[in-house]
Amino acid sequence: MNRSKALVLSLIVFLFAASAEAPVARAAAPYEAYTYDFYEDAVPLPAPFLPDRAIAGSDLGVGEFNQPNDIFVTDDGMIYILDSGNARVIVLNSDWSVVRVIRTFAANNGKEDGFANPVGLFVSADKEIYIADTDHHRVVVLSDDGKLVKIVENPQSDILPKDFDFSPLKVAADQAGRLYVVARGVYEGIMQFAEKDGFMGYVGTIKVSPSPWDRLWRALSTKAQKQQMQLFVPTEFASIDIDSKGFVYATTLDINSDETIKRLNPTGEDVIKRFGYYPNKGDIRYRRLGNNSGPSRLVDIKVLDGGMYVALDSLRARLFTYNDEGELLYAFGGRGTQIGVFNTPVAVERLGDSLAVLDRGKNNIVVFKPTKFGSLVNRATAEHFAGNDAQAVVLWKEVLKLNTNYDMAYLGIGKSLLMEKHNEEAMQYFKLGMERKYYSTAFKRYRREVMQKYFGPFMTGLILLIAGFAAFRIVRKVQMRRTRSHEARFD
Amino acid sequence: MKHDLIKFPLHIIVHPFDGFWDLKYEGKGKARVALLIVLLMVLTVIVQKQYAGFLVNFVDPRALNSMDDLVYTVIAFLLFCIANWSVTTLMEGEGKFKEIVMATGYALLPLVLINLPMTFLSRIMTQEETPFYYLMNFLAAIWFIFLLFVGNMTVHQYTAAKTVFTLMLTVIAMGFIVFLWSLAFSLGMQIYWFIYDVYRELVFRT
Repeated sequence: MNRSKALVLSLIVFLFAASAEAPVARAAAPYEAYTYDFYEDAVPLPAPFLPDRAIAGSDLGVGEFNQPNDIFVTDDGMIYILDSGNARVIVLNSDWSVVRVIRTFAANNGKEDGFANPVGLFVSADKEIYIADTDHHRVVVLSDDGKLVKIVENPQSDILPKDFDFSPLKVAADQAGRLYVVARGVYEGIMQFAEKDGFMGYVGTIKVSPSPWDRLWRALSTKAQKQQMQLFVPTEFASIDIDSKGFVYATTLDINSDETIKRLNPTGEDVIKRFGYYPNKGDIRYRRLGNNSGPSRLVDIKVLDGGMYVALDSLRARLFTYNDEGELLYAFGGRGTQIGVFNTPVAVERLGDSLAVLDRGKNNIVVFKPTKFGSLVNRATAEHFAGNDAQAVVLWKEVLKLNTNYDMAYLGIGKSLLMEKHNEEAMQYFKLGMERKYYSTAFKRYRREVMQKYFGPFMTGLILLIAGFAAFRIVRKVQMRRTRSHEARFD
Repeated sequence: MKHDLIKFPLHIIVHPFDGFWDLKYEGKGKARVALLIVLLMVLTVIVQKQYAGFLVNFVDPRALNSMDDLVYTVIAFLLFCIANWSVTTLMEGEGKFKEIVMATGYALLPLVLINLPMTFLSRIMTQEETPFYYLMNFLAAIWFIFLLFVGNMTVHQYTAAKTVFTLMLTVIAMGFIVFLWSLAFSLGMQIYWFIYDVYRELVFRT
């Protein structure tokens, strides 16, 4: 009796030990990840990213941050933080050890110069640091070791007003050395500067289209009234980023627009793809009135690998990741005090596979590590973007094991099946992924296949049927005539 | 039997002036057949929502409810008949309620005859062919409205203009009936809850 008890007990202990060996349950995310389905309902997802660590200024040994505004990470993992309140740039290694802190630089006249409330930061491929030194009305370009390269200020042009106040907010530069600047109070678009010639003009001008009601109202009002009226000005850009091909990604804060995320080609046209079920503008379901209402305020954008990009919504403090077709892969994040939720998120950057979000309110940076689900989705999207559909399908099938409600996975598998001419199977997957356009293509091919396969037997059957029917009619007619003639004889 | 169920309904939808005249003055139509057509209409709605091809079917499967389809179709039908009867009685219409029910019922037949087969045809359509589906549905609706118009005109012996006018009034009257009904319902519920509360109060006091 005692022995069997001990046996059971040891068995229980063993079971507990065995289950403790592989901890399956990780700390739950402090937010709910979701995406939107075909019916524009938010569908919960497994968290694609989980907060890994929060880094404050004191952790780095440089004193607390004060209202940091921007962060940039280069391809080799160097991290640059623009600590605006302290007017300094902190340069870090990929392992978060401080390389240097840039507070001042030697100006051309030999004097020490510093920053005043800088807002934007960018580091080019050859490690030149671009700082939007907002309150000094200039863009400062420093070399990697903090020496002044040049200062862009006081742009001159016929299209700029005489008393133009140049207050740069965000900067980016492409490989050709062209500088893109989002400036305060500039509604015409993103200011573009050539390497030598200075101000070149605007790119990405937002079209303004007043509603029919506004037009009617304006047409009916007098001149004096018109002057009282609000001008129909386009909204400002909020952020810019540049992808490896030199395309400028930008976000705007236009609450009436469905096109708040833009991808500008070198001539300044918006060429972003908007092929999803709904516009790529952050949240599509939100409260109209009251707390937390209104469309997302996308204050930052970062281009990731594989055509993906992530946009940061400062209103509801969420991150939205889209693929190159403009379909929402996942959204996550929120407001709060725990690690992983934000107070005032202002910038998002990529750290290898991870994401880093700079929080101005909390004065820290939170690093998000992808979960199994998140990295599978990212890898599958990248493989599909690169054209390796066979690999993508393997990954999408893994994704479906983790989340059977993921439309994107069905779509990915369907596209690959369509490519390999497995039309009937592709139809199934497109139906599950609610993709009508591709379904139609798959169905058209499948229908043709079936028709070709059964055309012979079908036509044979049809001809036999017609012949049989004709024969039946003739036989009947002959019989009728015969009976009639019989009847005639008997008459 | 064959005449009532097949020949006359088909006759009425292709020769409406003739057919509705026969319905009213020759006693050819059957209310039972008209109600059967309404039931077929319900079936059409249910089948269309459930089985129309993926490319034309935008109904959220989670929201499918055949009971709702049945109730709403039948209620809409009865509501129209009652509203039409109320309006035309005041406006010197000659139609009896039974005739209105029959005329409306028979007018629904094109919707059944076109939409039901189109539901299944839509399953073998590609995206480029779906406009055909919508066109046929549209034609069915136009045909139905035309039959409703002719049926009303014949049954009540109205002029064309007066028929259009009464049909519009009918729609308004339908709105009134819904409004009054919901008003009565909500007042009724208040009275019910009042009495129930008094009862409960008495039960708990003693």
